[in-house]
Amino acid sequence: METRPYFVFGDIVANSLAGVLVGVAMGALFGPSWNMFIAMIVGMGLGMVLSMAVAFPMGALFGAMEVMVPVMTTGMVAGMVVSMTAAMEPVSVMRSAVLGLYSGGGTLLFCYVANIWIRGRASKWTS
Amino acid sequence: MDVVTKAKWDKAAANFDLMAGYGPEKRWEPFKRRLFSQMGEGRILFLAIGTGLDVPFFPPQRNITGIDISDQMIEKARPRVAEYDGDIELRQMDVHEMPFEDGEFDQIFTSCTFCSVPRPVEGLQALRRVLKPGGEVHMFEHTGSRYFPFLVMMNFMTQFSRRVGPDMNRTTVENVVEAGFQLEHVEHVFLDVVKMISARA
Repeated sequence: METRPYFVFGDIVANSLAGVLVGVAMGALFGPSWNMFIAMIVGMGLGMVLSMAVAFPMGALFGAMEVMVPVMTTGMVAGMVVSMTAAMEPVSVMRSAVLGLYSGGGTLLFCYVANIWIRGRASKWTS
Repeated sequence: MDVVTKAKWDKAAANFDLMAGYGPEKRWEPFKRRLFSQMGEGRILFLAIGTGLDVPFFPPQRNITGIDISDQMIEKARPRVAEYDGDIELRQMDVHEMPFEDGEFDQIFTSCTFCSVPRPVEGLQALRRVLKPGGEVHMFEHTGSRYFPFLVMMNFMTQFSRRVGPDMNRTTVENVVEAGFQLEHVEHVFLDVVKMISARA
């Protein structure tokens, strides 16, 4: 697990930024007129693409794959969560941002736990 | 010479250090230093030396031949190579067309290389040819993941990344085995995406 404060700080900032950015964008794009399933699929794809705007500059500062993979996963999760919520009921900008922020935090935590678990399985030689 | 790959990396050379020179190198430094500490006294081939970002992590007084397909990358590497306390010869060439004799090197090192070699198994077979029997290859590589959701992510990212740089979904460990190397050790650095691979010819 990453314990160096500079990189932990970078991971938190990058995933929070990506979550808020994707959340606000998806909240603005989707509304109750959307079919929830279609909104989810489109939101996940757009979220991943949009999160690249955060992944590349933050990756240059805080690490390549260690930033890009969690941030793009955050984009996917935030896109899914906010687009589905917006398809069910109108969401404010603030609520979209908060949902995106929670998505980023949850995804980063998931990535840290997954990292510990997967690195522990290093004896299984696969790509 | 694979002119498409050469052109891609010549173009990337101008901004390569901006993207890869600080965060990624700082984050990977402890792992790379540990991997490169295995550089021995014999002849060493370093494949895809790029702009020389890894050179400061090399142990001193080693005899290294650093190759890269991009002459623009090699030009960027020269100042870092000039500061190295040891012998590094820089040469531009394609891994698929290396003019070296069979078994010329004792060890081979790579760093984020086989995400970009267009025909990775053939490239690894070319490395095995120039490595002495029983010689070591040590690799610091990023690959695809076998785990959801990272598997989806890496496949998705590759559709964009391969146009300007590396693939994100390579199966490098399997490729090493397929090329005829005897796999000795794999250590995951981040998820199963960034890893250190050691094998013997």
